[in-house]
Amino acid sequence: MTSTVLTKTPAPGPQKSYRPPPRSDGGAARKLLQSTWLIVVAVVAWWFLSAQSTNFFIPSLQEILTVLWRDLTNGVILSGALYSLTNLIVGLLVATVMGVGLGLVLGETERLRLIVDPVIHFFRSVPQAALVPMIIGVFGMGQGPKMGTIAFACMWPVLLNTVDGVLGVDPTVRKFSRVYRIPALLHFRRVVLPAALPQIVAGVRVALPIGITVMVVSEMFASVEGLGYYILNSSATFKVPETWAGALLVGVIGYLLSVLFKFAERRLLRWYYASGA
Amino acid sequence: MNERTAQPGLLLVQRFAAIAILLGAWQVAIASGTLPSMLPGVGEILQSVFATIVSPTFWSTLGRTLAAALAGWAIASVVGVVMGLLIGSVRAFDRSTAVLIDFGRSFPVLALMPVVIMLLGANTLMQVVVVALSCLWPILVQTIDGTRRQEAAVADTVAVYQIPTMLRFRRVLLPSALPFIVTGVRIAASISLLVAVGVEVISQVPGVGRGITLMQQAQQWDVAFAYLFFTGLTGWALALLLQRAEDRMLKWKRQNND
Repeated sequence: MTSTVLTKTPAPGPQKSYRPPPRSDGGAARKLLQSTWLIVVAVVAWWFLSAQSTNFFIPSLQEILTVLWRDLTNGVILSGALYSLTNLIVGLLVATVMGVGLGLVLGETERLRLIVDPVIHFFRSVPQAALVPMIIGVFGMGQGPKMGTIAFACMWPVLLNTVDGVLGVDPTVRKFSRVYRIPALLHFRRVVLPAALPQIVAGVRVALPIGITVMVVSEMFASVEGLGYYILNSSATFKVPETWAGALLVGVIGYLLSVLFKFAERRLLRWYYASGA
Repeated sequence: MNERTAQPGLLLVQRFAAIAILLGAWQVAIASGTLPSMLPGVGEILQSVFATIVSPTFWSTLGRTLAAALAGWAIASVVGVVMGLLIGSVRAFDRSTAVLIDFGRSFPVLALMPVVIMLLGANTLMQVVVVALSCLWPILVQTIDGTRRQEAAVADTVAVYQIPTMLRFRRVLLPSALPFIVTGVRIAASISLLVAVGVEVISQVPGVGRGITLMQQAQQWDVAFAYLFFTGLTGWALALLLQRAEDRMLKWKRQNND
């Protein structure tokens, strides 16, 4: 039992998936075709299959997109999306700052790490969605409690990965830092933080989908605003196409955020990939 | 890797002290009015925790949640591994499905829940479907990643000796992808619990998430906290168990790497 030290990696390290060397045959056009044809087929199939649907709960794709466009242009969804994304981003930022701060401290002091280890493992094991009724029940339906819930849920993967990253700092570098008597703050900022950065970013990448899920749950649980509310309210009033449109939009936003994150990660860690480590 | 010089007894005492400090801080925060006064004190929570241990209602609700999470997880594991092996081993499939899979894995499936409820109703079947849909992606992505990572020498050997397809699947692809698959399956397990509880919180499906919500709405905060406590413990136990299983299953792999 006591052997559970904070060294188990909760998340795989930065993605460096193996890409087979590109073959010379076939141009860029063929590649593009190869990677997109299935999506086109899927959308076309959905379009035509749902067009003949007589099921009240399965509207045609055309109807869904029309409704989506209508609510996007009249601002109903846009204000909801703005509300949701603000919650998500603030929550994620708070989680990152707290997770990295605590993680650096815990990573550097082994004794403290061993002492609080069970507490941290307990907190990160609580299914984050179960916190939603508690936190919102106590602090009300406002925007703050939702951000707090997201921050609390997202903090643990960041924290654990930061600890992991700090433990992974090259011992030789560490010794040098000590020999040259680098001041503690400078040591944190210029030695430990950069070395742990790839792991930290991986932790935030794991936290992102958790944050989106908690965001949706918090708005479906109790809210009068936001994307989750839009979806739930539409389904409660039997506005079927709106429900589908909302779910589809949240999916697209989730996808865009992950693409954006991957892009930012590549920029932020360019030196890391370049070093080939 | 961490040399434990101090005696284990001292560590245990310090751990209890840390927990005591946390509980003390909670008590002080409530007494001083920093936290709303409706929150229960440490004494009440402990009382409810002991009362919950012998409460058959609680354990049956927790059982329902676990059963739904496990069912969805199992379905996702089978479907994810089979599809992943197939997609990962044929490059054309891999390229064609890449964008679609990227989209799927970043889709917050809980947002889709109202749609699934419209199609299936607010019941356990719907819960299992939503859990399975959420768990599928990490398993699928990890399996594809693992299958793709064939060493060139091994691939050449298989080609030269004209190993039959089924044999190749079973004895070459599966073992080499196994470490990735196991990691994906382990990640999916914690997702399954999160999603199962999430479904219960925002719909009428019975289970521990629903239990916490009901207790909170009935102002029985101490009971809600006790439920939360045991849900956390369950999650912890699950994570530990799977980590152990992974370490044991992949012992050969770790030794290889050293």
